[in-house]
Amino acid sequence: MTDGHLFNNILLGGRGGTNPGQLKVHAGGIAWRKQGGGKIIDVDKADIARVTWMKVPRAYQLGVRLKDGLFYKFIGFREQDVSNLTNYIQKNIGLTPEEKQLSVTGHNWGEIDINGNMLTFLVGSKQAFEVSLADVAQTQLQGKTDVYMEFHVDDTTGATEKDSLMDLSFHIPTSNTQFVGDENRP
Amino acid sequence: GSAGAEGRGPARTSSELIAYKNANDMPFSKELAIQVDQKNEAILLPIYGSMVPFHVSTVKSVTSHQDNRTCTIRIIFNVPGTPFTPHDANSLKFPGATYLKEITFRSKDPRHSSEVVQLIKTLRRHVASRESERAERAT
Repeated sequence: MTDGHLFNNILLGGRGGTNPGQLKVHAGGIAWRKQGGGKIIDVDKADIARVTWMKVPRAYQLGVRLKDGLFYKFIGFREQDVSNLTNYIQKNIGLTPEEKQLSVTGHNWGEIDINGNMLTFLVGSKQAFEVSLADVAQTQLQGKTDVYMEFHVDDTTGATEKDSLMDLSFHIPTSNTQFVGDENRP
Repeated sequence: GSAGAEGRGPARTSSELIAYKNANDMPFSKELAIQVDQKNEAILLPIYGSMVPFHVSTVKSVTSHQDNRTCTIRIIFNVPGTPFTPHDANSLKFPGATYLKEITFRSKDPRHSSEVVQLIKTLRRHVASRESERAERAT
């Protein structure tokens, strides 16, 4: 039995902001514990569908998608952690982490990809941002071309961000063919 | 392909304006709050625990609203179909694209929210006038 890898000061990112904690990648899966106690995430390797790496400002981000559609992102890895962990995950969890790229061009046009609960906005095939459809309180079609999504306002959890997302809308021109005949659009 | 949109060297037309070349160029911030990066003419928005950059030329308007204790910041982006937006060229270039049109944030800090709204407005005006001058000189 290998001990696994332990990382301090790994941020769990999500709605409401980020929280620092300790992440352990072990032979049985991945576990994260919030600094100072509180939230614990314990993922069994059998439940993991996909693992991704992404370069973010000043660090690397590990994305863990579960088979039930949940998605966790852990931020704060160094470059050398990436190769070490990639090997370890391949060997012990049996998945090869894929590399995802972050779009930093600042463009507001691209495409939408929906995978499980996550809606990703891609610019030039790179990820600009993602949101969880599980947090959407309501959606509305505005006119023929605009899709509006309102997010749950969550006052109960320890939201760490100063400015929090309330709603957003996408404009899908009639020339777009991605969503033709798709009743599952956001 | 949209590979052409990520042109190298100085941007020539507004449709080619890019905020950053790679993730390391983005300013780092511990706080998840709307930021304005004057140097790179970008605004950074906190979405799901990450800072997401938008070049200020994509912004059509920004407003803030305050009532009692809540404070909201609303940003509307340029989308095709509105006349005289610098993005009309893009709707021809990327006919299949989906656009982020509008985004609203709730802010805990009214002073911060009126400050960023002012900064975005000023930066937007500055970039827009420079780009229209450049376009005039080019013709």
